[in-house]
Amino acid sequence: MDARVNREPTDAERYPTLSDAGRAMLRLMSEHPSAPVLRNRSGNRLLADEVEDLRAYEREVIGARFAWNTKQVPPWLDAFVDEVFAQVPHYREHGRPASFLDIATSGRGDLAADIAQFVPDNVPLERLINFRTTGTTGHPLILPSHPVVAGRYLAFHKRALRRAGIEPRHGRGQVGVMLLGLQRRCFTYVSVTPTMDESGLAKINLHPDDWRDPADRARYLDAMQPEVIAGDPISFAALLELPVSHRPRALLSVSMALSTTLRAKLSERFGCPVLDVYSMNEAGPLGVYDDALDAFVLLQPRMYVETLDAYGRPVPEGQAGEIALTGGFNFYLPLLRYRTGDHGVLIDTAEGPAIAQLQGRRPVRFLTQDGDWINNIDLTHALLPLPLSRYTVHQAADGTVSLGLAPTEMAYAQDAATRLSAALRGRAIRIIDLTSEDKVLQYTTDLAGGLGA
Amino acid sequence: MPTGPSLERLQRRLIETPPDFLAPPWRNGSGQVRVAAVVNDVLAALDCQAPMPLLATLSGELTAVSAEQLALSAVLAWLLADDAWRDFAMASPALLVLFSDVAPALAAEAAASRYVFEPERREELARTTIARLGLTPDGETASQAADRLASVSGVERRRLLDASREAEARARAIREALARKAAEESADKWTRE
Repeated sequence: MDARVNREPTDAERYPTLSDAGRAMLRLMSEHPSAPVLRNRSGNRLLADEVEDLRAYEREVIGARFAWNTKQVPPWLDAFVDEVFAQVPHYREHGRPASFLDIATSGRGDLAADIAQFVPDNVPLERLINFRTTGTTGHPLILPSHPVVAGRYLAFHKRALRRAGIEPRHGRGQVGVMLLGLQRRCFTYVSVTPTMDESGLAKINLHPDDWRDPADRARYLDAMQPEVIAGDPISFAALLELPVSHRPRALLSVSMALSTTLRAKLSERFGCPVLDVYSMNEAGPLGVYDDALDAFVLLQPRMYVETLDAYGRPVPEGQAGEIALTGGFNFYLPLLRYRTGDHGVLIDTAEGPAIAQLQGRRPVRFLTQDGDWINNIDLTHALLPLPLSRYTVHQAADGTVSLGLAPTEMAYAQDAATRLSAALRGRAIRIIDLTSEDKVLQYTTDLAGGLGA
Repeated sequence: MPTGPSLERLQRRLIETPPDFLAPPWRNGSGQVRVAAVVNDVLAALDCQAPMPLLATLSGELTAVSAEQLALSAVLAWLLADDAWRDFAMASPALLVLFSDVAPALAAEAAASRYVFEPERREELARTTIARLGLTPDGETASQAADRLASVSGVERRRLLDASREAEARARAIREALARKAAEESADKWTRE
């Protein structure tokens, strides 16, 4: 194995272009008297030429138009498919069928089985990074990525923000974005965004355990004054409970479905647009919710979206189907008819294609034995050490919890039940057979408060 | 994989190889067939420009290039001069690979004349040419074509084995890169799903 496996990155690798101003910003965010416990280190990792490339990429993305719609495939599709079949082992092995519609779909299970088969032959591995998914649709995943890919997210966020009339302008000496989590275990750190003149980025956990004094949470947000706050419905619900007086210019909600009620509460409380962004680790920000259209307007012109039936055939126009993706901006993971597990209706709008009636991202909370609500992500973390291909967790109306495991993985039942019980602080766990071979909803609940705010 | 010419047509073409193409190639100051010129003409007819290094390789001036490689390149040029290719291989970059990689590998296994006179070698040359141009023989599926080529060609079997080893090494390198602490630390995104 490579000698670099266990070496910690240096700060020079984390922030290759860091200036004195950037260094001061890192100090401000980490050494403020109300700062949280920052449990991790990370950075933008962007080289100087990559920062320039990203600026150009942002300009390109923000003005790019969709060259496809529900009746017409994108002009770049054929060349993209050729490239994927030439470079990506998984597809090369199968050979390219004559018709795009005959290409076999893939899903999380395929990526989980061996992600290496989906990485193109022509990408270097020296600066590869990974993102772990803790999705709600089945298989925990480790996805390949690159600092430039991570940096490209901002181009799509800006595209989404521009629709709401917001142009992010925080730069040197200011905090650009604060990412909120609410988990017992959360990756937290501070960094700077080079394309925004080293505005600050802080990823923090609102769970009280990560703070010297829980009241510091509001103090810290007020002191840092982030221009944008990003989070998920669960962390935003917690944010509403804090006596924060700062008013960000926008909130970005990702990961789970944002209810109309919570969105309205957040918008009223903070006096800013609340953007519900449909995003996933495999593909990045895909769409942003538009009230007037009651649909998610797509954000990536280079991502072709289909809606498919169970056999991989496009559903008739106007009908709901499983969302499948082709294209994308992660050059370490080009997607080809990738089934997301989410469902919706593909429609055409004046701005480009959009997804109406999006289903599949409901947040699920579980009630612990001592009466606390915890996020399904905490349960994913609890079971992560076990090599489970898939599982389900269901909480019944009386609070009892059952864990569904594949029959071939029952050897892990005892260990899994112990871990799950610990996360739910002593709840008894019943093990059941997971017999369905198809996609399953991983986390479900019958408890009234289990589906979030 | 797109369909290419029929195997029968190509094998017939090989049977009809003119004796001139099997004459000793020009090499080290003697011989008859100027292979570089022949190949250059055939590639040009297929809208493909032969790069200088390839023409130098086939010039007969390099002692490291065997007479068998030159002779087989001439036979390959004859095969590619068939009109059948006009519908399938115009300007294909893989045409160059046939001369730079395939011809030396096949020439190391058998004399050029055997790819003309022996049925199984003829089939091997025709199938290899079709496959390396990213095509399948007319009337066969991709999997039938791949199976049959592997059964008639030792060169193909070795190529598949090497490719499989390379693929496994690459997959291992990806898994190791993903497991590095540096990869674990990830990089900044403005949202985290």
